[in-house]
Amino acid sequence: MELVGGAPVRTRLRPAPLIGTLAAVGACWGALVLVVTASGQHEGSTGIAFSAAVGGGYLVAGVIAAYRRPEVPAVRIGLLMVLIGIGWFAEDVQISVDPVVHTVGLLLRSASAGFLVHLLLAYPDGVLRTGVDRVLTAVSYTAVFVLIPVSTLSFDTLIPNLLLVWPSPYGVVARAVDGVQFVIGAAVTAVLVRRWVTSSRPARRVLAPLFAVGLFGGSTSVLDALLGTEISWHHDVLVGMTRAAMLALPLAFLSGVWRVRLGRTSVANLLARMPGSPPGRLRALLAQALGDPSLQVGYHRPEHGDYVDADGRPVPLDRAFTPVDRGGRRVAVLVHDPALQDDHHVLLAVASAAALELDNQRLAAEVRAQLAEVKASRARIVAAGDEQRRRVERDLHDGAQQRLVTAALTLRLARQRLVAGADAELDELLRRSAGSLEEALAELRELARGIHPSVLSDLGLKPALRALAARSPQPVELVEADLPDLSELVAATAYYVAAESVTNALKHASADHIRIEVDVRDSALRLAVVDDGTGGADPARGTGLTGLRDRVSAVDGVLTVRGEPGTGTSVIALLPLERP
Amino acid sequence: MTGLGVVIADDARLFRSALAELLTNAGCRILAEVGDADALLAAVEANVPDLAVVDIRMPPRHHLEGLHAAVRIRTSRPSVGVLLLSQYLEVSHLTELVGDVTRGVGYLLKDRASGGDFLNAVHRVAAGGCAFDPDVVSAMLAGPRRRDLLDGLTARELEVLALMAQGRSNQAIAAELSLTGKTVETHVRNIFQRLTLPIESGHHRRVLAVLAYLRSR
Repeated sequence: MELVGGAPVRTRLRPAPLIGTLAAVGACWGALVLVVTASGQHEGSTGIAFSAAVGGGYLVAGVIAAYRRPEVPAVRIGLLMVLIGIGWFAEDVQISVDPVVHTVGLLLRSASAGFLVHLLLAYPDGVLRTGVDRVLTAVSYTAVFVLIPVSTLSFDTLIPNLLLVWPSPYGVVARAVDGVQFVIGAAVTAVLVRRWVTSSRPARRVLAPLFAVGLFGGSTSVLDALLGTEISWHHDVLVGMTRAAMLALPLAFLSGVWRVRLGRTSVANLLARMPGSPPGRLRALLAQALGDPSLQVGYHRPEHGDYVDADGRPVPLDRAFTPVDRGGRRVAVLVHDPALQDDHHVLLAVASAAALELDNQRLAAEVRAQLAEVKASRARIVAAGDEQRRRVERDLHDGAQQRLVTAALTLRLARQRLVAGADAELDELLRRSAGSLEEALAELRELARGIHPSVLSDLGLKPALRALAARSPQPVELVEADLPDLSELVAATAYYVAAESVTNALKHASADHIRIEVDVRDSALRLAVVDDGTGGADPARGTGLTGLRDRVSAVDGVLTVRGEPGTGTSVIALLPLERP
Repeated sequence: MTGLGVVIADDARLFRSALAELLTNAGCRILAEVGDADALLAAVEANVPDLAVVDIRMPPRHHLEGLHAAVRIRTSRPSVGVLLLSQYLEVSHLTELVGDVTRGVGYLLKDRASGGDFLNAVHRVAAGGCAFDPDVVSAMLAGPRRRDLLDGLTARELEVLALMAQGRSNQAIAAELSLTGKTVETHVRNIFQRLTLPIESGHHRRVLAVLAYLRSR
């Protein structure tokens, strides 16, 4: 099999189907035992149904567990459940009235207990974490599969025990075995109590159902062992309670499996609620989905190689953490309770859901930053263009204009030197040169004004608009309010909007009357140019209005052009006075 | 001509010396040639000339240093005529330069220095008259509200008004337009009645009234 766009899946031994097969074999084995021992059951007892329910419960729960958590070592939980089921049926073999079968059954009469101890200690991740756990498990297995079979040699039962070689007086050996079972039970109980006490909240959430049942069954069996296993009312009650616990134990495990389902639901909730959440809320959602209030989200800072939270504080990786990667890039880490690692699947699902959102947030932030940079760069380009125009105007003023003025004056001095009437032709040449110079100066002055009106930088927007109005061949009315100090960029933008609009009104709209309004509204400079011309200005056509719109956008302003044919045109620019 | 004492302020050396030569040839005495506003103010204080010819843009900022210095001289030394030269004209600058007194003040394009009227303007300003560039006057006459009110004037009257606003005397206007002095006076009276201006006897007050009218918004 090959995943789309992924690496080929490695073929490897899959434990879950093997465990399923083992459970099927166990089921056959159980059926066989129940059939073979049916004749030995107490009459009217519900023994067969109970045995089938408990054993079958373990087999089914084990298979479900194996399929839910098919990875090593968690899959061992499923395996142990199945082995308990098989062991459970094996314990019933002794019920057979056939001496041979009965004797074999005696050897296996506590088969499930060893697996049960192992399961309790290895739950939920299938690993025996401490030396105590391992020793206790080993002792338990030894007791079940060595001590008890050996004790069979002195175990006297109603149905002939073919291995009985030394019937112990007063059942001493049986009591010794009970004692060993008691010690093991107490030790397991102690370990579980200690584990509960030292566990964090998420870990307890995992342990709770199994521990409740385990402790209940453990206490009843300890009590039973203390009170003696002879036939008595309390033995019946305690055995019944122990058996109820045994029956409930696979159910408790199934509730653990159910809890994993809950985890998946919470991942679905997370996916539904996460998009668009602010970073702080995102952390809360992730903490909720994982049941770990202490969860921290560390955003990756590749340039520093470390992680920070939403407020920029460093997040140390001093606890268990799960990296959140997307597209081969580290996005963040989830720093969480180590117990969450037991729920590897939920953790991975949450991490990949978080990767999606965190990466989206990162991309959104990147886009925002880029947009801000583009805006700033556009404003810089416009400002640089203005500066360039100012410089050209200044260079013309101090350079070419100055030289031409000087040349004209020098020419005049030359003409003065010429004795009147001495050389009429030369005088005429000089006169014509002076005339050309004068025209050149006038043209140069207009050119310089078009490039950048000096009055704008010398005196500001209002005098520049007044000068603009005064130069117009058609009446231009200027309605001006008090203005605050304007940045060069805003003043120049307002001026060019006015100049271009007045030019358009005269050139294209044949306006007779033009009104320029300039005032401040809602901390924005408002510049309006209204004419009574033919209207029909089309911003999409021609570069004049487009250029103005770009200029206005560069200072985060808005340009509105209205004008149906016949109604005149109004051009309104709103320019924010303070840049956001 | 009894040589006028003149101070020239312009940071463009070549132009400054050409201007000095022109004025010297015309019989003026150049008392000082300076390149910035501070030196100008000092030279005016030291020499108390008849006339200061001032470029509007000068160091250090090449902004309106010349204009501001001119205004100061007009306030502190009313007897000194001030002729402001600029490469572009603005009504706002004229307004600031003139203030409420039209005595001994001029505002001309720099190009005019090579024209025939320049020496007239120099003498006019030095003698306490005024000289305003035709371009700035026509810009004032072209103002939107002006045009509505000036519509009632004849073409000849408009010509007279323009020359009057430039600071020309009745005789100068008569010479310019080849009219008799009496005809010019009649035109002037008509203009003042049309514009409902008080008929002032003195030339300066008349020019001031015209300027104030044209500048008024």
